Amino acid sequence: MPPIERYITEATLEVFATMIFIDIIPGEPLKGQNDGIDSNLTSMIGLAGDLQGVLAVHCPETAALGITGAMLGMDVATIDDDVRDAIGEIANMVAGGLKVSLAENDIATELAIPTTVLGKAVRTSGQAGVSRFIVPFATPVGDFGIELKYVLH
Amino acid sequence: MAKNVLLVDDSSTMRKIVSRSLRQAGLDFGDIFEAGDGQEALDVLEKEAVDIVLSDINMPNMNGIEFLREKSGRDGIKDIPVFMISTETGDDIIGEAKSLGAVGALKKPFTPDKVNEVLGPFM
Repeated sequence: MPPIERYITEATLEVFATMIFIDIIPGEPLKGQNDGIDSNLTSMIGLAGDLQGVLAVHCPETAALGITGAMLGMDVATIDDDVRDAIGEIANMVAGGLKVSLAENDIATELAIPTTVLGKAVRTSGQAGVSRFIVPFATPVGDFGIELKYVLH
Repeated sequence: MAKNVLLVDDSSTMRKIVSRSLRQAGLDFGDIFEAGDGQEALDVLEKEAVDIVLSDINMPNMNGIEFLREKSGRDGIKDIPVFMISTETGDDIIGEAKSLGAVGALKKPFTPDKVNEVLGPFM
């Protein structure tokens, strides 16, 4: 079984180190059913192939605004198209990093196009037998989490 | 002479980041045009004097591979060089892109230094 939680953590650290320039600290992956991040904005990207599922970036408003501002090099005061787009692109890049790591284990994965949803406490759901975890990250602009819900064939 | 660049990505954020990275990399470029998918990119290429295209692969409507395939059949624009900028950097998809005329690829995420290293020789 490949260390998928570590792949998510490493891909996220690379994205923030190279393109966002915010220091982030990963926490221990959470695997319970009631461990959702207090989120106002969630960007999801579908995964197909040998690993099927959904990767979701859950952000409270303060973190979404701070991260987008850092990505664009400007102050961002409200959740707008730029914020939705920026968090969606983070989901895309983290999923891309996961895809590369899985490919090194001969696990072929295809990525869909990210979708962003506004609203508090968005939860993803899936069939019985689906694995799920959230990697929490602490940042100076607020905490966020990256969830993976998946089946590995 | 400074090159005119077309950025093709469905993410407006990513287009802004690539544009900023070109500046930070110290590359000599002229006008920057933008398109949100392959079809929009073809429309820009037919109208504007573009010297180099930087294109995502995974886009709605017309993706980067379909864009390359369509562009390769159009006489007026088929020789404009295209770089792929994408999370999709597996040998299979990049091999397909290169078989359709792409001249190189840059993996997201990237740093301005990496942009300079990869794109510098073409600017």
